[in-house]
Amino acid sequence: MIKIAPAELKTISQYIQQITGIFLDQSKSYLFETRLSSVVEAQGCRSYQELCLKAQREANKKIEKEIIDAITTNETLFFRDKGPFELLQHKILPEVIDARSGRSPLKPSIKIWSAASSTGQELYSIAIVIKELIRDASAYNFTLLGTDISESAIVQASYGKYNRFEIERGLDKRFLQKYFTLFGDSWKIKDEIRAMATFKKLNLMQPFTNLGKFDIIFCRNVAIYFTLDDRKKLFNKLGESLADDGFLVIGSTESLTGICPQFIPKRHLRSIFYQKK
Amino acid sequence: MKNLSILVVDDDPVILHLLEQRLKRENYQVQAAGDGYAAERLLRQQLFDVVLTDLMMPGDIGGIEVLEIAKEINQNTEVLLITAHSSVHSAVEAMKKGAADYLEKPINFDELFLRLDKIANLQTILRNAEDLQVAMRTTESAASGTIQDLEIGMARLRQNLDRVEEILRNEGQAEDLRIEQALGILAES
Repeated sequence: MIKIAPAELKTISQYIQQITGIFLDQSKSYLFETRLSSVVEAQGCRSYQELCLKAQREANKKIEKEIIDAITTNETLFFRDKGPFELLQHKILPEVIDARSGRSPLKPSIKIWSAASSTGQELYSIAIVIKELIRDASAYNFTLLGTDISESAIVQASYGKYNRFEIERGLDKRFLQKYFTLFGDSWKIKDEIRAMATFKKLNLMQPFTNLGKFDIIFCRNVAIYFTLDDRKKLFNKLGESLADDGFLVIGSTESLTGICPQFIPKRHLRSIFYQKK
Repeated sequence: MKNLSILVVDDDPVILHLLEQRLKRENYQVQAAGDGYAAERLLRQQLFDVVLTDLMMPGDIGGIEVLEIAKEINQNTEVLLITAHSSVHSAVEAMKKGAADYLEKPINFDELFLRLDKIANLQTILRNAEDLQVAMRTTESAASGTIQDLEIGMARLRQNLDRVEEILRNEGQAEDLRIEQALGILAES
């Protein structure tokens, strides 16, 4: 594995922060090394600095995409941490449905956003909760959007195919049989769930254009990699994208204290959600 | 004793015996089944890490069915198929159904042991990953409990401080009354 020279660490971490928002300080240089070493070698570079320079100069941004894929964590599970999904099922969805129903002759429209959807497990888990909770989901206009910075994660999410290591843990066997089809050694999400979700590439550090307002936003375990300043920017922007009575769910070990005073934490069972003041 | 439990299935008693003996000599934990039915019975009785089965067997339960039953009972059981050269295409079909690999007859034992080593390594890595995941979840849930309490506590304090500020700034009221009220709220917090 190629080592990072102390002199180049600053340049690299600035570049990574600029393209991904992820802030890695000196104590985490091993993370750069384990994740980027193969890209450095594949690009025929002798150092990380050389790789960054090459990526910056490249017009089609191919290397940049490779770096983003290598550096972003795609560790995610179906129903990772049961809490948020119980919260969704027992508190958030019933309240949102209640608030949006009967106000016009049109179908109630409910928009949900998985802001760092990675390879799609979170958004599909949300879709499964909806299917389980609502007998006739077609009586509502659900929009389920998943966004992620990594293009290859988006491609896998859109395809909806997972190998058994990605799928078994966390997923109820009953759900596996009901919502997935065996495909060789992998499982593919069934069309009825797949059709509910849309995925697209989005860098949370850049402006959110044309996304509109959401009733529910999941943004779990992403901001932990950002600097305090970038976290503030992110949650303020999420606040602007959230309906006034909307719900924000963050990672179970994350906190918004001192980051975004417009959000008030509320507890339901074992979980916390946030609403605007 | 090696830590892989293996079920060997073959309708040819000579091959079955040979496989069982060779694997036992390598210190694997081995059980043998003379046909698909016996295999199904054993699979329903105990968990196996690996099933090594002949693809073509008489009766309703052939190698493919053994594969399906094993996978249905436990996704983590790896199935290796033994096949004659002429039926390689069915072995490829079986791989699509989740078989780990296939071996052509006559069996090359070095090749078989290599595959088994690979499976054992993979299962060790998987078990370690599972252990780590359990450890991580435990830590995470303890941490999240603490963080949630702090988060709610901080929000309540913030709210009380806002109220204190509001009271103290309310010039419509006498100063000593305002201070008393403010102190009351602070005492509650």
